[in-house]
Formats: sequence, C-alpha cells, structure tokens
Amino acid sequence: MTITTASPLASIARPRRRASMRQWTGILYVAPAMALVIVFFVVPLIFTVWMSLHNWPLIGQPSWIGLGNYTRMFSDARFFSALGFTAYYTVIATIAIFALAFPLALFVERQRTGVGFYRTVFFMPVVVGLATASLLWVWLANVDAGVFSSILRWFGITGRAANILATFDSAFALIIVMVVWKIVGFTMIILLTGLQAIPADLTEAARIDGANAWQRFTKLTLPLMRRTLALAFILSITGSVLAFDQFYIMTSGGPQNRMISVVYYIFNQSFVSFQLGYGSALSIALLGILVTLSVVQLRLLRVGDER
Amino acid sequence: MSDAKCGMRLQNVRKDFGKVPIIHGVDLEISEGDFVVFVGPSGCGKSTLLRMIAGLEEVTDGSIEIGGREVTDLDPSLRGIAMVFQSYALYPHMSVRDNLGFGLSMANVPKDEIARHVAEAARILKLDALLDRRPGQLSGGQRQRVAIGRAIVRKPEVFLFDEPLSNLDAELRVSMRIEIARLHKELGNTMIYVTHDQTEAMTLADKIVVLREGRIEQVGSPREVYENPDNTFVAGFIGSPRMNLLNGTIAGKTIDIAGSTILAHAHSLEGHSAVIVGLRPEHLEVVTAEPCTLAATVDFSEYLGGIGYLYCQLADGQTVTVEQREGEDYKAGDRISLSWRPEKLRLFSADGARIRP
Repeated sequence: MTITTASPLASIARPRRRASMRQWTGILYVAPAMALVIVFFVVPLIFTVWMSLHNWPLIGQPSWIGLGNYTRMFSDARFFSALGFTAYYTVIATIAIFALAFPLALFVERQRTGVGFYRTVFFMPVVVGLATASLLWVWLANVDAGVFSSILRWFGITGRAANILATFDSAFALIIVMVVWKIVGFTMIILLTGLQAIPADLTEAARIDGANAWQRFTKLTLPLMRRTLALAFILSITGSVLAFDQFYIMTSGGPQNRMISVVYYIFNQSFVSFQLGYGSALSIALLGILVTLSVVQLRLLRVGDER
Repeated sequence: MSDAKCGMRLQNVRKDFGKVPIIHGVDLEISEGDFVVFVGPSGCGKSTLLRMIAGLEEVTDGSIEIGGREVTDLDPSLRGIAMVFQSYALYPHMSVRDNLGFGLSMANVPKDEIARHVAEAARILKLDALLDRRPGQLSGGQRQRVAIGRAIVRKPEVFLFDEPLSNLDAELRVSMRIEIARLHKELGNTMIYVTHDQTEAMTLADKIVVLREGRIEQVGSPREVYENPDNTFVAGFIGSPRMNLLNGTIAGKTIDIAGSTILAHAHSLEGHSAVIVGLRPEHLEVVTAEPCTLAATVDFSEYLGGIGYLYCQLADGQTVTVEQREGEDYKAGDRISLSWRPEKLRLFSADGARIRP
C-alpha cells in the first residue's frame, strides 16, 4: 500500500524539479545579456529620469523640482528650433539615402561580373567612423587645401575659391552628401538581404502574369520587403534623429547656429551650460519621440501581419 | 510553315550556359490539345527546356512556335502560356482572389470581368470558400490548386507544369494527379508537364518525351516508350523496377548470357558480337529447367502482398529482378531457371541502340 501511494507523488515531483531546473538554466543563459542591458541601459535610463526631475548643476547639490524641466521645455524656443531642424534633416537625409540605396541594392543583387567588388566599394565608407568621416569631409571642403573648391572652380561653377561650409544651404547639402556617402552602403546591404529573400519563382510568375519591371517592383518587391524596409527606415530615421557628430565637427552648429540638432542642443545644455537636469529631461523627451516614431512606422508598415 | 493544328513546334532549340551546352538542338512537335510529359533524370535539361518555352530562359539558338506563332524572343506574358511552378510561386501578400486575378489586372481587364474569370476558375478548382485567405493559410494541396487556378484564369493556349506535385505528400499527389488529368479533359488545352516521377508520366501523358543530358532519347505514347524503348537508357529509365539489361555474347544464332544459351527469336544478330538483352521483371517466369532458360541464384526476395520480387544473380555476377504474382516462395541460395515469352524479349546493340526484329 505504501509503495502505491508513494510512487505517484514521486513521479509528480520529479518533472516539476526538472522544469524548474530548465528554467534556471534558461535564466543562466540570458543572464550576461541581461546584465549588459541592465547596467548600460536600464540603470542609466532610470538615473536620467531621476536627474530630469531635479535642478542638477555640475557642481553643487541637486534640488528636486518635479516636472519643472519638462514644463520649461514647452516654452523653450531654441529646443523647438532644434527639433524643427532635426526633423528637416531627418526627412532630407532619409529620402536621399533611400533614393540611392534602393538602386544600388537592385544593382548589386543580380549576379554579374564584379558584383563582389561593387558591394565592397559601396559598403566601405560604412566602416569609417562618423567623426572621422566628418573630419575628412571638412578637409575636402576646405577653401584652400580641399578638392571640392578646386573642382567647382575648374568646372566654372564658382569664380573663386568657394567656402562650402560658409552658407547654410551649401553646408547642409555637403553634410547630406557626406552622410549619404557614409550610410548608403549599410542601407544597401539591409535592402539587399530583403531583395534576396524574395524567391525568384515569384518574380518569374509575375513576368508570366504580364507585370513589367515597375509593376513587379511596386506590386511584389516593395510589399514583400515590408519587414526589411521597416528595419532600414527605423535604423535610418533613428540615426538621423540622433545626428550630432557631423554638425559638431563640420559646422560647429553654424552658420548662424542654424544647424543645432536636438542631440547637439542636449549636449549644449548638459555640458556647455551644465544644466544636467534639463539635459536629462530633453533626453527623455527625445526617447519618447523616437519610440513613438518607431511604433508609428511599424504600424504603418504592418510588420506584425502574417506574410 | 506550321499547320494550324500544331500546338507547339521546337526547331533545333539549343541552350548554352556560358560555354556549357545544356540543351543540344531539340526538335519536337506537339499537337494541339496533347498532354506531353518531359521525363528524365536530374540535370537532363527538362526544366530548362520548359523554362525556354515559357520565355524565362533565353534560347541560344533555334526557334519556338506556339499555335503557329513564332515566340522565340517574345516576352513570357505574350506567348499564350501559363506556368505552374514546383514551389507554387503564389504571391504571399495577396489573397487567393488577388492571386488568381493578378495576371488579368496587369492586362487592365475591367474589374467585373476579372471577378467573373476568378469565380469561374474557383468553381472549376473548388476554391470558392478560400478566396479571401492568404496563401500562408492554405494547405499544400490547396496552394497547388490556387497555382493551377492562376494559370487557368489567363486562358492560355499552353499550360506548363514544372514538377507541380513534388512538394505534396504521396496521397495528395495521387488525388492532384487525377485532378490535373480531369482538368486536361475539361479544358482540352495543350499541356506540357515536367516530372521525374514515372507514375505521373505514364498516367498523365498522351506523349512522353524522354530526355537525357539535353537530348531527346525518345518520344512516344506511354505504351510505346514502355514496350518499345529505342535504347537501353529509355528501357532502363521507364518502368519500375527497371528492365533487366543483361550483357550477352553472340554464339552463332544464339546468345550466351553467363553460361546460359538463349534464342534471339526473330532478331537478326548479324554484325554484332555482343548484345544487351532487355527483359522486364514482370515478363520473367520461374520454370522447371527447360531448354533456353536463364539459370540464376536467388539473392533475396521481397513479398509485397499482391506481388513479390526475387532479386537474383547470374553465374557471372549480373543481377536480375523477377516479379512474381504467384508461385512458391524462394529463399536466398535457391537455384532457379527463368523463362519468358519470345515476343517480350528486347534486344539492344552493345552501344545501347535497339535491334528491332
């Protein structure tokens, strides 16, 4: 009797113990990654939120001001002009990057002679750091020593040595060209993976169905690349919204302080004016903007839908 | 000039990939309404030939006519063909309805007309209940029917099938095979079907085209290619288990195979010193020793219920498969004599060409 009552209990207990063991193993596996995320993202994020609720000078005691920093933001005209400039830059840069990355991806997708060479060449600027690239382009745009000035003069576009970084329009155009040069290879590779994931059979079926190249692109390629496009858009837009190096290094926010991006403004508030609390509040606001933008994009591209 | 009844004509069609020739000058005429099956082992060029007919693969040389119209360099959509792919190639982001109507919408057919054609195809293939689903929500068989439906909606002169059933399980394959045969009867179009499955080839085809290494080995009805193969390749490829092909040497008016002497029956052996004797497993019979039989030793036997197979060896190591409908059981090591009806013997020259009586 005792044996018959004991054995079912034992058989229940064993799987339960095994299940809990498996859970612990799982936790052990994700622990290193979790530690990194917690130490370098969650803790700083919580600390930033905490700082944003204070008047926090670099030296001296922080004082609690509640939502003061956040209400101040709404009457800060310079913050809104930074937001406006960042939005303008994001739209132009994203359009420019995609306008070039898509044709390049289509070009390097086909198996043709030298395709590996082209892929490498287009991707190469990506491995250069943004700050390094900015410095390189500042030199290229230099009035006396740079090549752009000489080229413009050779072609008779400008009469004398031109200072490209002196006016807003030409400096902005130069930064866009630099960013496209720097980023387009990366976007191209992402789009390339999306293109390559479309089975050749589908394109062939569409050819038999009478779809021309443009119709195949709009009715087949684009819809089937929704996920890839979402990824590329989010990376590109997030990168643009967070732009800082190029404006800091190439134009120092000028001319006429018209090239202050949001991150540049946060940097100025935090490390030039030493208003760390206000800088933190601006950072949290920017985080909110980025999350909202990403969610909207995922919704618009209906990434969650079954393919 | 082709006559109006000609469904399709290939003349000296060649295809090279770089410097490698894949299709070596294929000539083929297909009558309107025929169901033609291309069979051959992997890499024989059957799919390439089909894709060339579809216009998905450029033709290196030669010409293709469909319905009396030269289409060699024409766009796939203008050839009057529709194709069913092995992978179904359904547009995953569109509903079944949009998949079916895609071709017509590309041709700017009015919406109500598209709806009518789609409804008609859905009726034929019993897809009515599935029209609003996406391909991802369908079973393999349903997807295949949608792929066929997409072909029907285009109202093509010629249907092209590229191994359409190879992704389906055995049971579904049989029912889809029957469905395709029914469809051919109902629509009466010319159909070209690529497969490596002999059962599909034998059951569906009006005409089988056997291909090897980019060349046509034989064209004929299933019965012709099975009963009268032109060469040892066709003889060995069509039929399962395959035909026994036994090497023999000529000894006067008889043939010596591993010490057994057999008669050439009506075949002339003049000019040959060695031949290949072809005997299908079902034509071999185990007999008590008679003159002119083949002596063999049973290696092992398989009992499959209705039939059984004896796998035997001759004295020189050549193997012979025998199909048994009834009779006694044999076990490994048993010595048996094999006989056959004279008209069932097929003879080939040493290089594989058929020697006809």
